[in-house]
Amino acid sequence: MRFEATELTDAELALQAEVRAFCDVELVPGTYEPGLGMAGSVDPGFSRKLAERGWLGMALPTEYGGGDRTAVDRFVVVEELLRRGAPVGYHWIADRQTGPVISRFGTDEQKERFLPAICRGEVGFSIGMSEPDAGSDLAAVSARAVRADGGWVLNGTKIWTTNAHHNDWMVTLCRTSDTDDRHGGLSQLLVDLRAEGVEVNPIPFLDGSSEFNEVVLSDVFVPDELLLGAEGEGWAQNTSELAFERGGPDRWLSTYIVVEQFLRECEEEDLDGSVVELLGSATARWFGLRNMSLAVARMIDAGDAPAVESALVKEMGTRFEQDVLAALERLVGLEVAPGSESLFERLLAAAVLTGPAFTIRGGTIEILRSVAAKGLRP
Amino acid sequence: MTDQLLIDTAERLFGDVCDFAAVEAAEAEGFATDAWSAVAEMGLPWIGVDEAAGGAGGDLVDALAVLRVAGAHAVPLPLAETGVLAGWLLASAELTVPDGAVTVAPGDPADDLTLTDGLVSGTVNRVPWGSAVNDLVILVDDGDSATVVLVDTASATLEPYVNLAGESRDTLVFDRVEPLASGPAGDGVDADALLYRGALTRVMLMAGALDAMSRLTVSYTHEREQFGRPVARFQAVQSHLVTCAQEAAIAGVTADAVMRRLAHDEARFEIAAAKVVVSEAATKATAAAHQAHGAMGLTKEYELHHLSRRLWAWRNEYGGARYWSQVLGEAVVDVGGDGLYPLITGGSAALG
Ligand SMILES: Cc1cc2nc3c(=O)[nH]c(=O)nc-3n(C[C@H](O)[C@H](O)[C@H](O)COP(=O)(O)OP(=O)(O)OC[C@H]3O[C@@H](n4cnc5c(N)ncnc54)[C@H](O)[C@@H]3O)c2cc1C
Repeated sequence: MRFEATELTDAELALQAEVRAFCDVELVPGTYEPGLGMAGSVDPGFSRKLAERGWLGMALPTEYGGGDRTAVDRFVVVEELLRRGAPVGYHWIADRQTGPVISRFGTDEQKERFLPAICRGEVGFSIGMSEPDAGSDLAAVSARAVRADGGWVLNGTKIWTTNAHHNDWMVTLCRTSDTDDRHGGLSQLLVDLRAEGVEVNPIPFLDGSSEFNEVVLSDVFVPDELLLGAEGEGWAQNTSELAFERGGPDRWLSTYIVVEQFLRECEEEDLDGSVVELLGSATARWFGLRNMSLAVARMIDAGDAPAVESALVKEMGTRFEQDVLAALERLVGLEVAPGSESLFERLLAAAVLTGPAFTIRGGTIEILRSVAAKGLRP
Repeated sequence: MTDQLLIDTAERLFGDVCDFAAVEAAEAEGFATDAWSAVAEMGLPWIGVDEAAGGAGGDLVDALAVLRVAGAHAVPLPLAETGVLAGWLLASAELTVPDGAVTVAPGDPADDLTLTDGLVSGTVNRVPWGSAVNDLVILVDDGDSATVVLVDTASATLEPYVNLAGESRDTLVFDRVEPLASGPAGDGVDADALLYRGALTRVMLMAGALDAMSRLTVSYTHEREQFGRPVARFQAVQSHLVTCAQEAAIAGVTADAVMRRLAHDEARFEIAAAKVVVSEAATKATAAAHQAHGAMGLTKEYELHHLSRRLWAWRNEYGGARYWSQVLGEAVVDVGGDGLYPLITGGSAALG
């Protein structure tokens, strides 16, 4: 395992400058409520503005409306959005993972149908992996699709499905046959969240918000053309999808904005030695993590599949998101009010309340350690 | 970036001359004379030093790459001192670099050395191999001007000390001693620059040592069996392996980032950040590596301590995590909320 630092090329730096200039205009502080990294709010209008710039589906093929650009280019764009808490919720999943997965495994017809819409910011996707009895052990999914005339009939329950109430589609991992190998017999279906038999029930989050849902699927008809990739190859496809999910800046920037906003709002006397020290050590760690994460993006562009490296970065990045928050929370020692007039306090409150999720969503740190450990052999 | 041939050569040479026994012997005897001769013969200590001053070709980045390899082998020699530090100071003052090993006074806060009427008086602390090396370079910086002074260690009264790794870090006291040579330090060479450059050498040594420690821990835990299987099969042990690998990786990648930047420009932000990252990595990774080794890691006969004790010592040489965090933190306060992310992405370039 080797991470090699890389510098941005002049073209990549020019892109960075362009994104910064765009954000300076579109994301003027005070005009929007920033979110914590990928938990930024849902705003299809903002997603479409990004699309107009060519900043959605950047790495997708141009024939389907993509930019045919690199993972590093996408990195450069998303880090600027995440650090400002931009409203990325509508397109986030589609841009990060569904687009690449459809591009890789989908039929020409599916690419035609979904990729241009993803690139235009006109379609939102959810991830339908987890179930009540299949969390870390994802191969235990029991949602099942059985053959029917011209398609499949799907039954089952998905859970923790982020933004299923806003989104249009859900990539659903389900069982399509029984095999001795528990990783066999799984397939991915593209399920229309507005189809008959789909019920989306909000699951209130501990802070009272409801960003994730239970999705009950009762005799949902899924036409043949919405089977993604090959029947029975769902596990392998899903694993490659997870590689897109991990290792990017969304795994170490969730609490960045809390610190930035602290800097904006703090008074001279708040900046004692311990605070200055924390600002410095966090900055050093962000610098290190960013270099690791950028190295992963370069590996992807070089045609490698850095699954182990991504898991390693995500595990340490998400822990750091929590560590920096805990340290700052301790130093400011505020009785934070979620409804405070201070944006810093609101962000801090949100981060404290949702922080435990950072090391769970997308695979828990315990599971990621096991994945990373597989790459550590003599 | 760096010549792979050079790295391979250093790898082979250090592997040969700095094996377990040689490192032990160096700690017992104070200096690894044979290893030094072999390394000096290949010119490794003088890479990156101006050829006019007696250097051996190559550039600073090459010298740093060699230091990384040296760190991985726990090389008990004043490699960083002779070329990257002393060679740089002497060359900046247009002085010739002596033939043998040379050491440098790191600029301990308790130092009180003065240069009056051309004579050196006062104390320098924590001088690496001060008891074993004849030539010592001291940067006398009174705040207005800096002078590079070359002195003979034999002209000092010496109090021997060692660091946690058994490497000599001696106190030398001078009383109106005439230097062997001296001259005004070149542009940009002052006490602060020496601190950054010293930290830079420790970053490289430590990045190498962390990588070696991670690999050693992986191989030991795959060999050692308990409950009928290699201990590396236990999830709790795997989590130690992952911690070691992560810390080695973040140390390595920040060291790379410093080298990349130094290849074309000054790298103050990157050096400070790397010293924080690497020093914190040393603390986390040594704890995990020792835990994964059980009692074996605590024995003198097993090599883990050659790396872990050096990491514990080096993390605080030329400023520890706290010092450099404060330096960075002040830069963060200066740039404020708007400037923080550009600082993280642009590093020294963002500081202008
Ligand atoms: C905010 C948020 C958003 C999410 N969004 C989505 C989404 O959109 N779509 C979706 O499909 N899922 C989503 N998830 C679900 C997420 O993927 C799962 O929560 C995660 O995979 C863990 O599963 P679990 O919650 O059932 O925990 P469990 O698997 O029940 O784990 C409980 C504990 O046991 C540990 N554990 C389990 N197995 C092992 C093992 N083999 N070794 C060691 N430790 C183990 C876990 O690490 C954890 O600490 C979301 C979760 C969160 C928190």
